[in-house]
Amino acid sequence: MSEINPLNKLPSVMEKSANSYYQRWRLVKDSLARYGVIAGGLSVIVALVLIFFYLLYVVVPLFKPASAAAVNHYALPEATLGKTVLLDVEEQNEVAVRFTDSGQAIFFDVATGKTIANEAVKIPAGANVVSFAQGSPISEGAVIYGLSNGQAIVIKHQYKITYPDNKRLITPSLKYPLGEAAIVVDDQGAALEKIAVKVGDKSTTIVAKTADKVRLLHIEKNENLMTDEVTLNRSATVLNFPVATITDIRIDKEERNLYLFSDDGHLSFFDISDKTAPALRQNVNVVTAGAKATVTTFLNGDNSLLIGDSTGLVSQWSMVRDELNRPTMHKIRSFKVSEKAIATIDPEPRRKGFAAIDVDGMMGIYHTTSEREVLREQVTKAMPVAAALSPRANTLLVEASDKNIYFWTLDNKHPEVSVKSLWQEVWYEGYPKPDYIWQSSASNSDFEPKYSLTPLVFGTLKAAFYAMLVAVPLALMGAIYSAYFMIPMMRQYVKPTIELMGALPTVILGFLAGLWLAPTLEAHLAGFFLLFTLLPIGVMTFAYCWYNLPQSFLEKIPEGWEAAILIPVILLIGWFAFAISVPLETMLFHGTLRDWFKNEWGMGYDQRNAVVVGMAMGFAVIPTIFSIAEDAIFSVPQHLTVGSLALGATTWQTMVRVVLLTASPGIFSAVMIGLGRAVGETMIVLMATGNTPVMDMSVFQGLRTLAANIAVEMPESQVDSTHYRVLFLAALVLFVFTFVFNTLAEIIRQRLREKYSSL
Amino acid sequence: MTEQQTRSHSIDMSSILGEQRQSQTPNETCIKVENLNFFYGKKQALYGVNMEMYRKKVTAYIGPSGCGKSTLLRCINRMNDLVDHVTIEGKILLDDENIYDKSVKVAELRRRVGMVFQKPNPFPKTIFENVTYGLRIQGINDKRLLEETVEKSLRGAALWDEVKDRLQDNALGLSGGQQQRLVIARAIAIEPEVLLLDEPASALDPISTLKIEELINELKEKYTIVIVTHNMQQAARVSDYTAFMYMGELIEMSTTSELFTNPKKKQTEDYITGRYG
Repeated sequence: MSEINPLNKLPSVMEKSANSYYQRWRLVKDSLARYGVIAGGLSVIVALVLIFFYLLYVVVPLFKPASAAAVNHYALPEATLGKTVLLDVEEQNEVAVRFTDSGQAIFFDVATGKTIANEAVKIPAGANVVSFAQGSPISEGAVIYGLSNGQAIVIKHQYKITYPDNKRLITPSLKYPLGEAAIVVDDQGAALEKIAVKVGDKSTTIVAKTADKVRLLHIEKNENLMTDEVTLNRSATVLNFPVATITDIRIDKEERNLYLFSDDGHLSFFDISDKTAPALRQNVNVVTAGAKATVTTFLNGDNSLLIGDSTGLVSQWSMVRDELNRPTMHKIRSFKVSEKAIATIDPEPRRKGFAAIDVDGMMGIYHTTSEREVLREQVTKAMPVAAALSPRANTLLVEASDKNIYFWTLDNKHPEVSVKSLWQEVWYEGYPKPDYIWQSSASNSDFEPKYSLTPLVFGTLKAAFYAMLVAVPLALMGAIYSAYFMIPMMRQYVKPTIELMGALPTVILGFLAGLWLAPTLEAHLAGFFLLFTLLPIGVMTFAYCWYNLPQSFLEKIPEGWEAAILIPVILLIGWFAFAISVPLETMLFHGTLRDWFKNEWGMGYDQRNAVVVGMAMGFAVIPTIFSIAEDAIFSVPQHLTVGSLALGATTWQTMVRVVLLTASPGIFSAVMIGLGRAVGETMIVLMATGNTPVMDMSVFQGLRTLAANIAVEMPESQVDSTHYRVLFLAALVLFVFTFVFNTLAEIIRQRLREKYSSL
Repeated sequence: MTEQQTRSHSIDMSSILGEQRQSQTPNETCIKVENLNFFYGKKQALYGVNMEMYRKKVTAYIGPSGCGKSTLLRCINRMNDLVDHVTIEGKILLDDENIYDKSVKVAELRRRVGMVFQKPNPFPKTIFENVTYGLRIQGINDKRLLEETVEKSLRGAALWDEVKDRLQDNALGLSGGQQQRLVIARAIAIEPEVLLLDEPASALDPISTLKIEELINELKEKYTIVIVTHNMQQAARVSDYTAFMYMGELIEMSTTSELFTNPKKKQTEDYITGRYG
């Protein structure tokens, strides 16, 4: 056979290729591709898990309990020089001081108890110490000795840090801020049995109790600008108050409020803003029946009193305005330390926490606003006499009745965070009631940061809600029209154009929303409302007219361009809405719609509000939802639509009953992905919301979202501070939020797909 | 184009009628196609087709791929309207009414002229909802009526015994043959006058095909059926009349036995003897 049979050639071709290098290379490529895909997928998962664990790693220390370690204990330094009336530790935890009832200040080494210096307070001859008080720790270590001759001495203990030979050296000393001469408090020379002092920059207030009077002495420092000469202006008053029962006196740092404690557990609260006319504001029982107040002190900031009683309870009393807007003291929370009487309470000098020790030496460290017991520890076996928390609250010295000082170090970094303080209503000092507040910083030093994530989560959901309210109907309607009704030629242009909208940097959207849309909306609120009402009505009217237009006119319009005729109609409606809005407002609302809402409905108007965010973020979310939903609708198999039409269904019935049903998993996905985007969106909410962390569903109020909050505050937070970790917690919440949302969405989508998937 | 149209030629209907042997009932014209020209854009797909289809008879269209038989079928319930850029000239009369008349409501026409496609296309709904779909879109929601119709239609499509216990299951869980019978049940649920079957068995296995063919035999008791098929044996088995189409033209139409045993045209003979197509 001369004819070539192609089948004869075939084996040789196959043989050649089977042995060739290509055959092996093909396999290599195949496995490379397989491992490449596996590696890619795994690395995505690993990256996600790593992010999650990193966030967790930063966040977890927030919730760790505090710890205490006993470092040393040593005999009371210079025990012979009298009993301790105050124990204190300076900032660096190196030098401690012990003031004695004999008027001695003994400075000693914190770690070893070795005496560093020993200074006697200049007490006038013939007088002896009868009372002692500490100004609050924040007033730079001022203390006062009340003497038997009606005089008092104000002293400050100060610590000068020098670096000879590059080594830190702390030199303690005593200063007399009001002069070395004793101050006459009682001009009749009666012994000052109880005393309190507050030393400020400009003035000093001393309140003292003698056998029959409560005296208030206010000293104002006046500095002559010309001569730098300092003159002291004294004003003295006698309080009209029964003295016999007074056990303790406290003055707040503003020198406005005076608190007198009686031995029957009563607290009398005086307003001493006018130093010449103290006024009794309130008289309240601060302990339960049968109990006695054993220790009283201010919480840092002097806005709250901590009252320890004989039942082991420490209660926090804060100033709250009552129904008549008068400041009154209210018990806002309490902490049970033990069943024994409280011996000492040491407030943390920089946070709203305190350490309370009962008579058995059981210490509890608490944080007031987070209502958290961060630590419980037996710090001495004997009864504590005095205790001192260092300014950084990481060192504790306890003097016990066994004449020993116990030196403890504390590790208590984030006492202010608890599940309650993050998510529930917290009653902060100075607030009329418990509330959700996010306020991480302020300018004053005794400010308490408020870390409630609830308003942020609320804001996030609110912003997402309004954005979805705008985006979902528009995007889905658009998708339905474009996928199902639009002629292919037009769709070819419309779809990429809308998708291009998604590529618009959100910072530009946010910028436009904040700087253009927000003021425009504020100025033309009625116009916008009118537009949203007139637009659907106008379009419907136009559509009705359209059907009644003469056929000859309709035929002139190129196929698919019918919708284009709407553009001038929409423009006309827009112009009309804005044109008549102002006269209409004046006529119907007697002014602006904004004022009307405010006056009639009590709805305040923020310029940057949920409407602005809804529109701007809705605009950002539309392309995402549109694109995915459009694809889903468009990919509904033709044979289903045709099948429905062949059964006599109209186009609309087919769309609602078959197309949307079959596309529902895709449409659902589109909405969920849009929602995910709205929840995580940062730049638009950052620029257009006003970032006010308020919990108000009103459309005219601003909000703050988790994402925007992180963006705003992360740069100003100190690494590893509580604030920093709480921001990471916000990130973690956002992460979990998105994760849970997407997982749920995926599960539902799978279910829908199982149910409605077509062939 | 005029030159192309002149190629068209009509079948002499009277000759077919005269030769009809087995008809017990008098043949009553149900659908009449008059001089139908059809264009996809500029391309002509049907050339001057004239034919008649009789009530409660099965008419089969045969011919090679692309000969225009499906196009002709789709003209009868105006499914071709859904395709962009088509032009239709001529008339199709259903009960002496031109279905291309402006006053005709397409949805109503399609209710009267049901259609079953090559590929089974049940909706992603339950079996029950599939069958009642046509009723629901007509606004019928009476539960008892729906249930009765479902049983009647499924029995009519010879599917009732197989699915009566799982009416609430998803229709997509049925086999291909069952799906196709479900689609037929769905079509007859709305009591059409005409059933158009577009290669209804070509995607099915032989047993399912057999069931469909048996079903067609039962259905013609009630409906006028037009079937497009590639399979000449099938045409021979199920139809009363057969039309052979080629290149957009109706070449020959007569009773099925006549066409297969004694074709008048050479093209027909070549096709049925397997010389091309």
